Amino acid sequence: MAKKPPIANRVRELREANDGMTQTELGDAIGVTRQTVTAIEQGRYSPSLESAFRISRVFGVGVEDVFTWTG
Amino acid sequence: MAFQEKSAWIMCLALGLGMSIYVSLIVGSGPDAAGLAEPGLPAIIGLTVVMIIVSIVGHALIAALASKDANASLDEREQQIIDRAARSSGFVLPAGIVLALGTYLMTSNGDLLFYIAFSSLILGHLAEYVLRIVLYRVGL
Repeated sequence: MAKKPPIANRVRELREANDGMTQTELGDAIGVTRQTVTAIEQGRYSPSLESAFRISRVFGVGVEDVFTWTG
Repeated sequence: MAFQEKSAWIMCLALGLGMSIYVSLIVGSGPDAAGLAEPGLPAIIGLTVVMIIVSIVGHALIAALASKDANASLDEREQQIIDRAARSSGFVLPAGIVLALGTYLMTSNGDLLFYIAFSSLILGHLAEYVLRIVLYRVGL
């Protein structure tokens, strides 16, 4: 089993708070697939810095409001 | 399931099926009951045709079921998965070639050299697609 990255995120929480945005809608907004959004939410994948910024801009918050270092 | 993961499953099926048919053609058809047949072009062509047909039909099916996914470019995670799978499976072919050459030096059997080298080529690709599936499943 791959080691989980030491980064927690609030993507799912923010997505649901954002009028119940779907994973597909978020994926389309930041240029990744729904499966990648799922992997990010489950902590199986750490997005690139660019995607992290794109996610935070979609939700209108700062990057540190979405991602936190847990290591 | 992502389109690229489905694609990897299809390629595993194509390679596995093609290789199974190929092995069934060459094993036991040599000069003695357990011997290997001499490498021949018809078996290679048959293997190639089976793999191409399975691959084309399989990809046409998954593309018809999800045309949007089929036309989408790879995202950053998929690109990383493909790169890592290629990197990690890259040792299979060279290791097989070294084994084939070593075997030839020991046995002077050219047929065996061919089969080990050829199997390494197929196994290298198979390992790459299996690794892609694993990485899609367990994460990077």
